[in-house]
Amino acid sequence: MTRDTWQRLKSDRFGMGGLIVVSVFALIALGVWSGLLGQDWSEVSGQHFEGASAEHWFGTNLIGQDILQRTLFGTATAFEVGLLVTVCSTLLGTVLGGLAGWYSHGWLDEIILWLKGVLDSIPFYLFAAAVAFALQGSPWAMHLAMIVTFWTTTARIIRGEVMRIKEREFIEAARAIGLPGIKTIFRHVLPNTYHILLVQGTIVFVAAINTEVILSFLGLGIQDGVSWGLMLAESSQEVLGGHFGNFIAAGSSLFLLMMGFNLLADALQDALDTRGLLG
Amino acid sequence: MKTPALKVDDLSVWFEKSGVRVPVVDHISFTINAGDATGLVGESGCGKTMTAMAILGLLPASGFGVSCAGIEINGRDISRLNASRRRAILGRDIAIIFQQPATALDPVFTIGQQVGAVYRRHFGGGKKQVRQTMLETLESVGFKQADDIAAAYPHQLSGGMRQLAMIAMATVCKPAIIIADEPTTALDGSTRTLILHQLKHLQALHRAAVLFISHDLGVVRQICRNVMVMYCGRIMESTDCESLFSHARHPYSAGLLSCIPRISAGRPEPVSAIPGQVPSAGDLPAGCHFAPRCTRAEARCHDSVPEPDDQTGGGAACFRPL
Repeated sequence: MTRDTWQRLKSDRFGMGGLIVVSVFALIALGVWSGLLGQDWSEVSGQHFEGASAEHWFGTNLIGQDILQRTLFGTATAFEVGLLVTVCSTLLGTVLGGLAGWYSHGWLDEIILWLKGVLDSIPFYLFAAAVAFALQGSPWAMHLAMIVTFWTTTARIIRGEVMRIKEREFIEAARAIGLPGIKTIFRHVLPNTYHILLVQGTIVFVAAINTEVILSFLGLGIQDGVSWGLMLAESSQEVLGGHFGNFIAAGSSLFLLMMGFNLLADALQDALDTRGLLG
Repeated sequence: MKTPALKVDDLSVWFEKSGVRVPVVDHISFTINAGDATGLVGESGCGKTMTAMAILGLLPASGFGVSCAGIEINGRDISRLNASRRRAILGRDIAIIFQQPATALDPVFTIGQQVGAVYRRHFGGGKKQVRQTMLETLESVGFKQADDIAAAYPHQLSGGMRQLAMIAMATVCKPAIIIADEPTTALDGSTRTLILHQLKHLQALHRAAVLFISHDLGVVRQICRNVMVMYCGRIMESTDCESLFSHARHPYSAGLLSCIPRISAGRPEPVSAIPGQVPSAGDLPAGCHFAPRCTRAEARCHDSVPEPDDQTGGGAACFRPL
């Protein structure tokens, strides 16, 4: 990212708001990972369904666990899922999309497109359930299901972009200095897609956290630990009894983080758009 | 006789269009000696760039056909090399400077990274040494603050500076042959002079053979000793620059020369144009391709192809030269 990009991003007030929100949540996640925050998420520290108090800011849940602690720990869960899925699916999508675009209309392209078509045609939640069943409740089943299906969008975007970039003259210039094709992809073609990857990465991150919530709600998600999805699943019964602690804590956290990420993605897209800079 | 730096023997390029062979470059041969610059001039679409791409072996594999009796660099035939051996030569022994420096440089890397990468690709070497060579090359093409330029991205430079950077990329390995494909066409007048000056300086410095492709005879005259005039994929006239300007022998060369507007004190003469239009590659007339537009054409010009009239393969390919 160049200095110009950062300048443009800084002048975008909504984007900076988004960045601040995301950074705060990221700090919380770091705090949890380093053992400073949310360590008492499973401890029963009060009566059941206590209201908000100085000791329990968001009250307690059915069995008397502190909801604030659980919300903080849930932040780390969200980032763990988001980061892992984003990094893996983006890598997979970039490499496969890059190869498909470079060898477009060749056999490799056909295979990758076919694979993408097959994966895209399976209903996702059915697929996630199937993976969870096949892996016999492994805690990584959810991650795997997301990685295996989320790369297709990235690959489609990268494939199109690569097909555009490979016609540019500097690719010919790379051939003229004797760079082999496969190296050209990684040295000159894919680096020129970084602005798309950055934006697509934030979108996948949001999608992964969202999906985690839904899968946990359905019982296909987080196995040990706690997540916002599990809290929302608990709250679906509790709100009927007038206990809103879980619902408000997890729901607003999810809303804030999603909002922050979407604003950031939007601003990044504008800031990274350098078309017209070089013609 | 010493070995020429570049020898192209009977090179043809064509593409297939609905089963018919459409010639783009038609049996051309020429040689360039070390330290010499040869101009390749002609109108747009006459096959100049195709010739360059065919020499480098960079034509897209699908769609184009190439045949030749040999392309030799310092006596070594490169036309039969396999892909990886050919890649080892590209950029090291033979380099190309493109017409559009704005698009021929990768926008996400600095000039220093790109110039250094060419050298590291062919000669390896440690970080320090690569950087040293890179900075020296940038200085040799005329950059005063090589450090600043090395750290700059292509979009931060002006058109002329980008072209100098391209020239640095082409010369960092000190190749025996530099192909310059209209390197000054996209630039303004004063920048053009600067680029030509640097190119000439480097050519003398490295004793490189330069194939200078241009449609601008004036530019060719400034930089080249010899010149080849190309029309519809064939070389019409091949001679040294001075004779072409003082006495063009092929009617097409003479026509091209008369198209250059002259500034004189008196009343300006009207600029003459060659009558007719360049035929399309798929629809070339038989015999001499220029015959339909030629004022001196006679019956045999429409039937058979004239050979170059010089024993060494130079001269004018014309039955009725001027």
